[in-house]
Amino acid sequence: MPVLSVRDLSIDYRTRRGPVHAVRDVTFDLEQGETLAVIGESGSGKTTLAVGLIRLSPRSARVTKGEIRYDDGKRAFDVLSLDTERLRRFRWADCAMVFQAALSAFNPVITIWEQFLDTGRAHGMGDKHKVHDRTRELLDLVHLDPNRVLRAYPHELSGGMRQRVLIAMALLLDPRIIILDEPTTALDILTQRAIIDLLRELRGKLGFATIFISHDLSIAAELADRMLTMYAGRIVERATVEDLFYRPRHPYSVGLMRAVPRVSGALGSVASIPGSPPDLIRLPRGCSYYPRCPFHVDECLQQDPPLLRVDTPDHEAACIRWETVAAALGSDAEAPVAEKLA
Amino acid sequence: MSGPLIELDRVSRTYTTPAGTIKAVDDVSLSLGESETICIVGESGCGKTTTGRMLAGLLRPSSGRLLFEGADVWEKKGKDLARFRRAVQLVHQDPYASLNPTRTIAQTLAPPLAKHKKAHGRAARAAMISLLERVGLTPPADFLLKYPHQLSGGQRQRVSIARALTVDPRVIVADEAVSMVDVSIRISLLDLLHNLATEFHVTTVLITHDLAVARYFGRKGRIAVMYLGRVVELADTESLVSDPAHPYSTALIAAIPEADPTITRTKKRVPLKGAEVPSLLNLPPGCVFHPRCPLSEPGLCDVVVPILGNLPGGRSVACHVALRERQPAAELLGVR
Repeated sequence: MPVLSVRDLSIDYRTRRGPVHAVRDVTFDLEQGETLAVIGESGSGKTTLAVGLIRLSPRSARVTKGEIRYDDGKRAFDVLSLDTERLRRFRWADCAMVFQAALSAFNPVITIWEQFLDTGRAHGMGDKHKVHDRTRELLDLVHLDPNRVLRAYPHELSGGMRQRVLIAMALLLDPRIIILDEPTTALDILTQRAIIDLLRELRGKLGFATIFISHDLSIAAELADRMLTMYAGRIVERATVEDLFYRPRHPYSVGLMRAVPRVSGALGSVASIPGSPPDLIRLPRGCSYYPRCPFHVDECLQQDPPLLRVDTPDHEAACIRWETVAAALGSDAEAPVAEKLA
Repeated sequence: MSGPLIELDRVSRTYTTPAGTIKAVDDVSLSLGESETICIVGESGCGKTTTGRMLAGLLRPSSGRLLFEGADVWEKKGKDLARFRRAVQLVHQDPYASLNPTRTIAQTLAPPLAKHKKAHGRAARAAMISLLERVGLTPPADFLLKYPHQLSGGQRQRVSIARALTVDPRVIVADEAVSMVDVSIRISLLDLLHNLATEFHVTTVLITHDLAVARYFGRKGRIAVMYLGRVVELADTESLVSDPAHPYSTALIAAIPEADPTITRTKKRVPLKGAEVPSLLNLPPGCVFHPRCPLSEPGLCDVVVPILGNLPGGRSVACHVALRERQPAAELLGVR
């Protein structure tokens, strides 16, 4: 049973030019303990979706319809109907968010220990000693030395250490869901690697479900079980990580996969996606990807295609041309798209 | 012509900070021929940006020389110096900060054309149109009257490249030129720079932290890997990524996450001894990588600073052990 079920979620931003349809009819399930990666260009709606899930959207955003159902087996509710107090509890105790480890994610004038204490208090942990014990335990878990880190100020820590602290802080109330927004961006390679390994280890030990928002496909390749591709506010493909990397069926997913060169293996035919994403205030007629799509036909202009089942029951793509896409890629072998198109 | 076009000859650069003196770049030599591409790769703090700024003649080395067509740039004066300034252009990382927001694209491109090429009026307009076409901003007339805020990040970066091209440069130094644009369009920008190198014989230096970007861009050129101010390896791109010679490059390539679930989840790792990069204020003696290096030998690596030496296959590496064994570190560490 899914721990989070999102149904027909739509989020608009109010602007002077009119509403920006940033998230449109998004439906997906997050199963207990699984890792789901959401990929897409900037402006695809992935960050709006992520912060929308815990209702942290800016004031100009409005949920126009949909449901976000949380169910951990003991308690079940619609996140969109929570009052302020219950929402506050949901936000850290059930579902925590880890942002990029920029200094701005911290209060610069208090120590790491005080950040933990503030977080604990804000979410109903009254007992200071309990927060302290739990904090030390968590810092151990993320391989930081509590004696050194607790007394430090945020600027005294390296980027990798700050990211570990943020992860530990997210785990303070033992949430069932962790949302990570670009968790390794701006970190050096060896630090990135250490954070990826840490997340894998913690996931195994603690069994939380993860939603990853990243423009970096390699992080998805490392950690995801299943993936969603977003384009112009919609989910255009849903698949297992292997299917999305080796057998994508939406031309946009194919384009993204092909746009990222690798260090190991053959380079293949790497290429950018032509054009730029559509204006989310005045969406084009029919399929939003039509103007950039190498596979388009006139029929694509008739409607924005719904998600269609392709290949297997676990794989859906919003493209009426998916069979042509499959044929263009040729083999179903476990090889990257850039190699198949070479 | 056979000699190098532009050359860093044993340059170092130190900075004085309140906490002490740091050596951002230490004894780096690089030599580039006409229309060559080279990528300088490394993590933050390795000195790659400082090296790029010294190559572009924007930063004077604390010691060592910058040579252009064999002559010391910092000895140049007057017209000679102006000629160097035109010949070497820098493309910055942030296309949001590097273009003047109050000027249209035409107003951005016209002054350098007027100053360096004496192109005014109709001639200037024709030159701008052809530049915008060259950088793939079509139809060009649509872009001339636009302001930077009306363009996407990728389009702005193309304008930055067009501006660099107004003076017919012979060398372009691009510092993280694609790291702030969306993944989906990075390749097209790299292709643009690559085409300039091949069609117009521009020597291109790409500075990046992203090895995959370096591999793609530099596929016909070389990569220099920097660590804590030094070049630790310099080799042809393909041999560097498939068979790295320095333990640091080997560790980096083994650790890099790849956009391929099978490859990335089954990569052989290089176990490093320490996770933290030493501070530039307090560099270790001997080889700066020795405290983390799995190949490090006491009495050698912690005492003697290794200099770049040659391995078979035309690659250079600054590692005592790889040079003595005459084998790349990837072989010695068993991660090939």
